[in-house]
Amino acid sequence: MSEKKIKNIFIDGPLQPGFIADSIAKHGAKTNIGGHSIFMGQVRRDEIDGKLVSAIEYTAFEEMALEKMHEIREAIFAKYPLSCMHIHHSLGTIKAGEICLFVFTSSAHRKPAIDACTEIVERLKAELPIWGKEIFEDSTYQWKENK
Amino acid sequence: MEIEIITFGEIAGFLKAQQLTVNDIEDTDGLKAYLEQSFPTLANMKYKLAVNKSLIQDNTQLKRNDSVAIMPPFSGG
Repeated sequence: MSEKKIKNIFIDGPLQPGFIADSIAKHGAKTNIGGHSIFMGQVRRDEIDGKLVSAIEYTAFEEMALEKMHEIREAIFAKYPLSCMHIHHSLGTIKAGEICLFVFTSSAHRKPAIDACTEIVERLKAELPIWGKEIFEDSTYQWKENK
Repeated sequence: MEIEIITFGEIAGFLKAQQLTVNDIEDTDGLKAYLEQSFPTLANMKYKLAVNKSLIQDNTQLKRNDSVAIMPPFSGG
């Protein structure tokens, strides 16, 4: 593992469209980039046994998640020729329709950015100790499980 | 010996984080058997353990002051 600082990916509350727009705008100065790939996760108003999901409440084992994310970040940088990689995940209550995950990769040409983005999302969902509690409109809940 | 138990998600609802004094438990298999007996709900669930923030796959020796996380299936993203 390299000496690079472990970055915090967690943000309290939903990821705002303005935050995402600013993140895109910041890359205008990096003129070696030719392709960006973005994935955004949005809370879905699922219907389960006749009840609608109104929000997901996210919690995490933050220290372990950040160490694991650091390891994934390093592996992805080693595997793909990327210029940039940005990952943000919400904690707390995120309402249906709000953004809870933002993964943003950039490279000189499109392919590495697209493939790295996909791989980060898959690994993050499988390997990071984060839990989502689906809250229904009547305040009952169930624990989400990733497919 | 004393170990620290930390719990998350659904498991935190019935098994609180705590300092646990165990005298006849030496490894994670022993700890799992003890916890599943004390908390039958756990026995019927899928869960994983992390010892000192590292996910473990196989039975692992425990030592004094280890921190053991008991974690239900992940559901981030």
